[in-house]
Amino acid sequence: MLPTWRLIDTGTRRAAENFALNRAILEARKRGMTPSTLRFLQFGPSALLGYHQSAEQELDLDYCRANGIEVQRRITGGGAIYMDESVLGWELYLGKSDLGTPDMAAISQRVCETAARGVSAFGVRASYRPRTDIEVDGRKIAGTGGAFDGAALLYQGTLLLDFDIERMLRCLRLPAEMLSPQAIEGARARVVNLGELLGVVPPLEKIKRRIADEFAETLGVSFEPGELSPLEARLFREALAEIDSPEWVEMVRKPRGGLPVVEAIHRFAGGTLRAAAAYDRAGGRIRQVCFSGDFFVNPPRAVADLEAALRDCAIEDVPAAVARFFQGRPIEMPGLAPADFAVAVTRAAQAA
Amino acid sequence: MQCNGCEFRPELYYDSDYQIWVRPENDGTVLVGMTDISQTIAGKVLHVRVRRPGAIRPKGKPVATVETGKWAGPVPNPFDCVIETGNKAVLDDPSLLNRDPYLHWVARVRPSRPVAEALQGLLTGAAAEAGFCERVRRDDIQCKRVAS
Repeated sequence: MLPTWRLIDTGTRRAAENFALNRAILEARKRGMTPSTLRFLQFGPSALLGYHQSAEQELDLDYCRANGIEVQRRITGGGAIYMDESVLGWELYLGKSDLGTPDMAAISQRVCETAARGVSAFGVRASYRPRTDIEVDGRKIAGTGGAFDGAALLYQGTLLLDFDIERMLRCLRLPAEMLSPQAIEGARARVVNLGELLGVVPPLEKIKRRIADEFAETLGVSFEPGELSPLEARLFREALAEIDSPEWVEMVRKPRGGLPVVEAIHRFAGGTLRAAAAYDRAGGRIRQVCFSGDFFVNPPRAVADLEAALRDCAIEDVPAAVARFFQGRPIEMPGLAPADFAVAVTRAAQAA
Repeated sequence: MQCNGCEFRPELYYDSDYQIWVRPENDGTVLVGMTDISQTIAGKVLHVRVRRPGAIRPKGKPVATVETGKWAGPVPNPFDCVIETGNKAVLDDPSLLNRDPYLHWVARVRPSRPVAEALQGLLTGAAAEAGFCERVRRDDIQCKRVAS
């Protein structure tokens, strides 16, 4: 008989409540007082920081305030995102031994590959993109992140249903040129919605069932609908008292100047290559980079894949990371060499 | 001393899951750090946050949090204590924890009880070594370090 895990659906809630539930269920799972669980969730309009991020550095707080967007801090790692009801959230609460490996990168991969198969069941070709994305033909359709505590872990992800990235870009602290119509179009080309792929967003219940079925089959478990236990309800109230407060949101404060957005234009034989990057000055790392310019790369998704591969890369490691990325990949780019990408990124960082 | 390439230091004290090590200092404080097992499982550490000096941390509450490849989690605390300070070198360059997790401590704390009493629930020496190697074998952990 298959092990039975719990399936809960907490509907649309404020971000503070969603993260208090994260804390409560993870704590109960750590104590061995609750079964492994798949949870579906949604958010009202909210700008969500990664656990170690600073709101001043990452978000346009004036825009968020003016547009009634809740600002909150996740308990999971990763970067700032915008969520609203056009995105479905899914989460797994597990014991570390549930997936047969303690290695966190391997756990990310296993969960993402399973979620990707759930999305593919709708007739699209979704796949895992290291380290924590799910993509369809090079366009991101889901992002993920996790939290661990003792022998328990929480892994959570999104699924874009009918999402407009412009709203997200406006929540983030970006220079004006990254909000130009062309830049927004460029960003739209890097993400994709399930509704856009299928022509219509399938009924939410059907999407949830497909994802749950895929996790059940891959992990060899069955799901039984359930509710929060009395212990989880108590832990939720305690966590909410801490999380639903300015002190929690402002827990990490870093000066705005510590994360400048920098850019450089590199001219190569066949044209120009522009790298715009968020550069973590204290850590000497590229937080995120975006390439544009008049170059030709085939397959086009290679550019988005390279951008994903360079996330959180130390600046001195960029040339080696770029070389590793191109090694063994059949990518056509006339007149452009892999080293040109490294040069553009390095120059951008030097401008900081 | 090593098991599956995971370095073990017999003079340190460990929690029962070998997530952290603890070293008593001469001034009544103790240093808390990540084990080779923890840094391997976690992967490259990108962020470390230590609770502010003076913060009272009951047993089980984290003295610090770390983040690696989009995973965030606590550096747990094995006894009631007060945070003295975080290791500035590690706060500035968290990847030091991946290079030499025993050289680079995360936090200096002052136990609320006498140090000898606080260390009583922890493992050290031969008993710790047996448990450490058992954990490494049970979870099939092959330790890896980031080159300096």
